[in-house]
Formats: sequence, structure tokens, C-alpha cells
Amino acid sequence: MTAEQAVAPVTAETIEDALLSFLAERVKTSVTPDQDLFSSGLVSSMFAMQLVVHLEEAYDIAIIGPELKLDNFRTVQAMTGLVLRLHDASADASADASDAVGDV
Amino acid sequence: MSEQVASGRALIGELVGDQAGSWDLARELPAELLHKLGAQGLLCAEVSAAYGGLGASSQHNGELTAYVGSLCSSLRSVMTSQGMAAWTIQRLGDRGQRRRYLADLTSGLLAAVAFSEPAAGSDLSAMRTEIRASGDSVVLDGQKIWVTGARYADLLVVLGLHGDGATGDGAAGDGAAFVVVPASAPGVHLEPIADPLGCRAAGHAHVRFDNVRLPASSVLGGGGQSLSLLFTTALSYGRISVAWGCVGIVRACLSTATGHAKRREQSGKPLAQHQLVARHLAELLVAEQVSTLVCERASQSWDSASPDMVIAAVLAKHVSAGHAARSAATAVQVLASAGAQDGHVVARAYRDAKLMEIIEGSNEISQLILAQHALAILPDEHPNESR
Repeated sequence: MTAEQAVAPVTAETIEDALLSFLAERVKTSVTPDQDLFSSGLVSSMFAMQLVVHLEEAYDIAIIGPELKLDNFRTVQAMTGLVLRLHDASADASADASDAVGDV
Repeated sequence: MSEQVASGRALIGELVGDQAGSWDLARELPAELLHKLGAQGLLCAEVSAAYGGLGASSQHNGELTAYVGSLCSSLRSVMTSQGMAAWTIQRLGDRGQRRRYLADLTSGLLAAVAFSEPAAGSDLSAMRTEIRASGDSVVLDGQKIWVTGARYADLLVVLGLHGDGATGDGAAGDGAAFVVVPASAPGVHLEPIADPLGCRAAGHAHVRFDNVRLPASSVLGGGGQSLSLLFTTALSYGRISVAWGCVGIVRACLSTATGHAKRREQSGKPLAQHQLVARHLAELLVAEQVSTLVCERASQSWDSASPDMVIAAVLAKHVSAGHAARSAATAVQVLASAGAQDGHVVARAYRDAKLMEIIEGSNEISQLILAQHALAILPDEHPNESR
């Protein structure tokens, strides 16, 4: 597909901003980028799952398998890092070859 | 409803016919029925065509699930297990695992998902089942209880502690995994539950794993994930599926009670003309509408990948299970002696629906989750409490 992407460029800054406002809207509290969302009690695993779905939909990425660690969702910074990593990986078509698990 | 799902529905209607009552009494579903429906992809209809599935939406699969639930909650329970296993594999597996296992699940093999343990129901921190690395293999040890469909299953998808987080901080850390276990593997011991209260033919069993050695590639996505996230992920599918199954229970109760009240006469007029009975019919209709709407909403969230799907699934499950339990009691009341025999559709509904208030998050656990959600979405400034 060659369609031009109309969305804002995906940078650490845009992801972080979008996440902060998503969280502010969802948990009705403003958080800081480095705040531990779990230990502060703001986020349950139920909400972590919502974050997974939100990030996948918003950035067209798949957060599966080994990426489903709470550490990836602990702070806005961690989620930003996750999105950037997966976004870059999906942009780079050759990244799929890294999957070495396959014995039958 | 897509063509394939619609023709699947017709096939199910044909194959089930009027046999659900006798399956309930026999406490067993015909294995060939399950394998046949499995091979058509109907037990996990949301698996995409790329993996051999029907690629149904949550909405369409939901309606199919409700239909099966209206006929036979035992069969619907097996469908929920298979769908949950497929969803878990799709969600957590790497590409090789998806290809292999989803092909299995759409070609006639059956799967069950094992969560609960003697000490660990809702309390995940009490989970003890362990998946230990051992060279190129993993070794599984533990005990799971009330595994729906286990008696029919070729594959068991088992949740356990795995990796570094396995010691100590199990519930809060990233030390868990799902592992796919052939039911025939040495060290897998099944103990069927002889007389469950409801869904009597759903093949519930306790399962013990003694030193079960498996290839490391059986651990979905390599493992080392968050226990609570894995639990929530798998259960979200189970909750929507159970919720739709409850819609089916309510529909069966509505049509049976209404039909009876129309035909049966007492004191010179049909039961439906007696006001106290008429109120029961109104309540059944309300239950059917409300539970359908709440399930449709959850499925819409699911199909549009909305973050709300997690809470919407809990809400749908909770609302529909409550309606199913009350509707079943109401239907038995309307049918009275005509429905008061094991195997009868409303008698089955009465026992089956009660289990739906327990499975995939009891009423109370669902309420705790919903209460937490209510607190989380409370705005910082709340004008109603201005003083």
C-alpha cells in the first residue's frame, strides 16, 4: 500500500502527549510521564488491558506475546518507548524474521 | 450474520435437534458432534480466515453463541472454552504458534483453558502451577480445577507461573505464561466432575500436571508476561461469550414460558390472562431485551477495538448472568410442574444459569471490578458534592 499517512508523525513527544491526555480523560487525574501508574493505584490490570487495546488501535501496532509485561505499561515513558519500538519494527518489514521459535 | 455463520447456525440446529435434554441427563455430549462443529470452525468462529477460521465478528459470533446457548448450555460452554483458547493463542502466541494451534482448533481438535486452582480462584497471588525451563523443554507442575470442556479436550491451555517473576511477586510482576499442553502428554491426569450443578454435559474436570515435559515452543509468546494481564486478556473473551450464552438462556426461557402461558388454561382462561403470570412474561421480555443490548454494546466495543471492551465485557457478563438466573427461576415458576423435571429446557436453564453467576468472575467479583471502574471515571470536580 502506498497511501500517504495523514496522521501526525509518531515521535516520542506526540505519543507522550497523547497518552497523558488519554489518561487524564480516563482516570480523571493528571499524571506525570514518569509516574508509576500501578503503585500509585491509578491503574488496575483491567485498565492495563484497556491501554493495550488503545495503543494498538491508535498506533496500528500489535502488542502481543513477550510485550505483554506490566513493566511496559508502568509509566507513560515506558508505554511511549514500547510504541516507538513496535512502530519502528512494523515499519521495518524485515523485523519479522527475528522470530526464531518454531520447532514442532 | 455472514453466510458461513448463518449456515453454521442451521447445521447446529439440525445436529442438536431435541437432544439437549438427554445429553444433560447423560452428562455427556456426543464427541463426534463436537469434532464436527470444531472442524467447521464453528466453535471458535472469530478465528480469521488466514488461520482457517470463519473470521466472524464478535457481534455475529455472539448471536451464534446465544443461539447455541438457547439450545444447550453445555455445548455453549464447550464453545466458550474453544473460543477462549483460540483468542488466547491469537493474542499471545508468536506467528508459528498461531499458525499451528489455530489450524488445529479449526480442524476438529478441541481445547480447554485451565485457570482456577484449589487455592486460587479470583486471588491470583495464590496461583501455584509452575512452568519451569529445563534445557530445550519446559516442565509443568500443578493442579487446576473446574476446567470446562477438559474431558473432550485434545489441548489444554494452562496458565501458570513462569520465568523470573515465578518466585514471589507472581500476581504483580511479569512472571507468568500460558502453555499449550496435549491432553495426552505423560503426566496429565484428568478427574472428571461427576455431577456438576449445571452445564452437566460440558465435560468439567479437575486436571493435575505431574512433571509434564513439553517443548519450550509450547509456551505462548515465550512467556514471562504479567499474570493479571494474561488472566484479564483470556477472560475478556470468556466473559463476552458467557454473556451471549446467557442471552440464549433468557431467550429459551422467554419463548418457553410465553408459549406455555398462552396454551395452558386455568380457571377458564390462559395463564397469560392471569395478571401475576403476565407480569412474569413482561419481566422475561425486559430481561431478553436488556441482556441483548448490553451484549451488543460489548461486541461493538470488541469489534471496533475500543479500550472500553474490557469493562463492557464485565458489564455484559454481569448483567446477562443475573438476568439469566432470574429469568430461569421465573420460567420454572410459570411452567410449574410442567418444567420441574431434570432435562426440561427451563429446569436446565435454572441450574445452568446459576453457574453463569459464578463462572468467569462471580457476581461479586464483577461488582468489585465495576465499582473500581466507577471510582476511576469519577471526575476530579463533582458538582453533586459541592458542599
